[in-house]
Amino acid sequence: METEVLIIGGGTTGTGIARDLTLRGISCILIDQKDINAGASGANHGLLHSGARYIFKDGEAAVECHRENLLLKRLAPHCIEDTGGLFVAVDQDDDDYIAQFPKLCVKYGLPCKEISVDAARQKEPCLAENLKAAFEVADAVVDPFMLSLDNAAHAQSKGAAILRNMKLTGFEMRNGKIHTAQVENRRTGEKLTIKAQEFVNASGAWADNVAAMAGASIPMSYSKGSLLVTQSRINQAVINRLRPASDADILVPGGTVSIIGTTSVEIDSLDDIRPTVEEVDAIIKEGAQMVPKLATTRYIRAYAGVRPLVRTAGGDGRSISRNYTLKTHTEDGIDNLVTITGGKLTTFRLMAEKASDIVARRLKNTNPCLTETETLPPSTKGEWTEPGKSPRVWMANPERRDTLICECEMVSEYMVDEIVNDLKAEGTIPTLEEVGRRSRIGKGPCQGTFCSFRLAAYLYRKGELADSQGMGQVREFVNERWKGFMPLVRDKELMRVELQESFLCALFGMEEDDE
Amino acid sequence: MMNKPVNCNVAVIGAGMAGMAAAIFAANRGLSVVCVGKASEISFSSGCLDLFSRIPGSDMPAFDNPFEGIAALTKLQPDHPYAKVGREDIVQGFEEFTGFMNTSGIQYHCTPETNQKIITPAGTLKSTWCVPSAMYAGTRALAEKKKILIVDIRGLKGFGARQMAQSLKKHHPCMGSVTVEFPGRETAGDLMCERLTWDLETPDILSRFIGVLRPHTAGYDTVGLPAILGIYRFEELKNKIEKALGKTVFEIPTLAPSVTGMRTKEAFLGQLPASKVRHYPVMVKDITHGEAGFSFEVSEGIAVREVRAENLILATGRFMGRGLGVNASGNIREMLFDLPVTQPRDRREWFRRDFFNPKGHGVNRSGLETDECFRPLGRGGKVFHPKLYAAGSILAHQDWKREKSGSGISIASAYRAVDHLA
Repeated sequence: METEVLIIGGGTTGTGIARDLTLRGISCILIDQKDINAGASGANHGLLHSGARYIFKDGEAAVECHRENLLLKRLAPHCIEDTGGLFVAVDQDDDDYIAQFPKLCVKYGLPCKEISVDAARQKEPCLAENLKAAFEVADAVVDPFMLSLDNAAHAQSKGAAILRNMKLTGFEMRNGKIHTAQVENRRTGEKLTIKAQEFVNASGAWADNVAAMAGASIPMSYSKGSLLVTQSRINQAVINRLRPASDADILVPGGTVSIIGTTSVEIDSLDDIRPTVEEVDAIIKEGAQMVPKLATTRYIRAYAGVRPLVRTAGGDGRSISRNYTLKTHTEDGIDNLVTITGGKLTTFRLMAEKASDIVARRLKNTNPCLTETETLPPSTKGEWTEPGKSPRVWMANPERRDTLICECEMVSEYMVDEIVNDLKAEGTIPTLEEVGRRSRIGKGPCQGTFCSFRLAAYLYRKGELADSQGMGQVREFVNERWKGFMPLVRDKELMRVELQESFLCALFGMEEDDE
Repeated sequence: MMNKPVNCNVAVIGAGMAGMAAAIFAANRGLSVVCVGKASEISFSSGCLDLFSRIPGSDMPAFDNPFEGIAALTKLQPDHPYAKVGREDIVQGFEEFTGFMNTSGIQYHCTPETNQKIITPAGTLKSTWCVPSAMYAGTRALAEKKKILIVDIRGLKGFGARQMAQSLKKHHPCMGSVTVEFPGRETAGDLMCERLTWDLETPDILSRFIGVLRPHTAGYDTVGLPAILGIYRFEELKNKIEKALGKTVFEIPTLAPSVTGMRTKEAFLGQLPASKVRHYPVMVKDITHGEAGFSFEVSEGIAVREVRAENLILATGRFMGRGLGVNASGNIREMLFDLPVTQPRDRREWFRRDFFNPKGHGVNRSGLETDECFRPLGRGGKVFHPKLYAAGSILAHQDWKREKSGSGISIASAYRAVDHLA
């Protein structure tokens, strides 16, 4: 295969770059070792920062967030729920810190309005009784899956190719340049060589691994952050704790749930990223100081992502800048590689613009960046990830005699058909994992106990699965959900696990070797 | 309003497999029995009776002979409940239990020295000991390499005929599949097993269902259907279909709540009056105990009745049955007597990272310690009460889901306990 630009990494930044480049008329291929947003882009709060979170430590990041926040609300409104946000402090929080907050907001031009404690609790009855300060800011909620899938879809409509399950295995170097990239399909084992003029490393936490294949290195540290999803929505606006960054400071509502997090745990390896019992306990304990209900509510899932932080000086995960890193590698003797990593979901567009600027300049393309002015067209790619959409569509179309596969989130055969057709049109094999990521299957309270099997049975019926493939995929699907449920099992959850094990092990014997 | 207290020799708390077995055994010995519990968990059962198949985490493959398996198990794990019972207890317990169910219309097929295989809706083969007659033709067809057609019904979720046929291809190549419409439900999106079961009780729908099946069965010896052939008259319905199609027919259990489980429950409940067992489908929260025995209250409509029992058998199950729960400090506790529970040190050791790790999860082996006749031990390791017994999955040192020993442990421990108290 040949293209002008090969983008490695299908997170928000990578898909943002694919869109940016194609809008400038540059052809590109995007590869991801797994799937769109399989890394940190899919494992965060889904918070569109107002910038206020960063005013104490990183004024520049705060200003960037503020600007991008306004832009995205205008250009990609379908991906955003404009909830507004609150910064609140409770009794034990530092008064000086609180007093600084509105002043710094003014300094960096961020809208911020102090409201009375009573008004705050009226707005968000879940807030602690010992609240002592509250400020309104312009936070919002963004669906990162829809955002990336729509960026990818727009790029595809302009000619870009998006290749999933494609793992980079090496580069062929010639005269200080990357000549080709070798990739391998994780599912089929098929090997491909992709020739390009420019290469973009947008692989997030894997940036150093990719750079190393070209003989360069990026000093990185990995900070794991875990988050918990509540069973029902607790708050209407984003709620931030007004104190120096610590565990469980942000409660973000989204659709029918709320998400509380995060932790910051320095890790050495990117293998097997998962939330732990200790993190879950810490998040609940800390979060309950701000929203007491978090101590008693039920949770349906925990998940963890890795913040890719580029080491500039010493410091722990939270003190290293959240701002992005853009590196050209000319000093490493490589003329056609750009690495863009770090940063935030909120500033993904800006990061994509900066990386694309370098690539375009090198390709002598003088067309301007259009993502700052052109609306992101909604696509159908992410439509079934939207909470509440599946039940609406299902109820509105009784004539389809449409069978529900996932009863918790009401995802039906019709919706699975749509996703399967879409995946196949893109050349992706529709596995349980892929269909799961593009829908809400498995994301409700049963966490895959019933729906994993129903989905497998349906894919068999449609001829999408054959032989004994289904069993492996169900195992993989259930284990992925288990990863996020295991640390949450405290009391009532034990019943669900027992039920699940009764089916999967006592009845089906899925823990036994297949032979 | 208080009704007159009822006195009994034995109170059985819990109406799952262990509670049912304990009530049957006690009644058979002429004891007066009160059985308390909703019997709701049994609706999740496949209808088969497992004895033993596998030692979780050991290198030993699954055992064809369950008794050889149990012998190997108890050598390795002398704390296991099976180490407290002899082969005779197991055999006699099963005979008595299946005999009782037989009078209620459920027959089991059992080969004493060998486990048998049934087809599961996941397309796996499950090892079990006693197979109900409604499923047995499938077991035989597998063993005899017959040509099997598996039928599923559009709209009935989690039961995929093609999934089963494809997944089992490597074990049983002569298997086909077909999806049919259920007569009278062609416009429905979602179908439930229980609904279809009631439908088939209507002769007209049954004959139309046979008509729907007929064109697909040519070339096959045996037809596998989801378990929807009636709660009470399943033998009759199966025979009608077999006669009309000229094929043997068997059922495959479905996901919960399953008709096969409901059948087991109904068979048990239906036979209770004849056995003079009083059944209260309620949950007991408080039990007082003293030298004279045990006392607790059950509701009867708006009234309340006190039950006084000489002996008490705790067959409350694990977390789903509320026999076990978790206290404020995060430890697993027994819910009625606060008996000490053997358990992992803390929550971090409850589970393994891989849900399907063949060794099984730490939390699964938690439960009650007992003496040789299944009397729970209190703090200090002494028998908690001379007339208190425990049976079934609440016992420690077993992992019934991985061992495929659920019914076996329930029946054997209930048998041993009743044998001791009688």
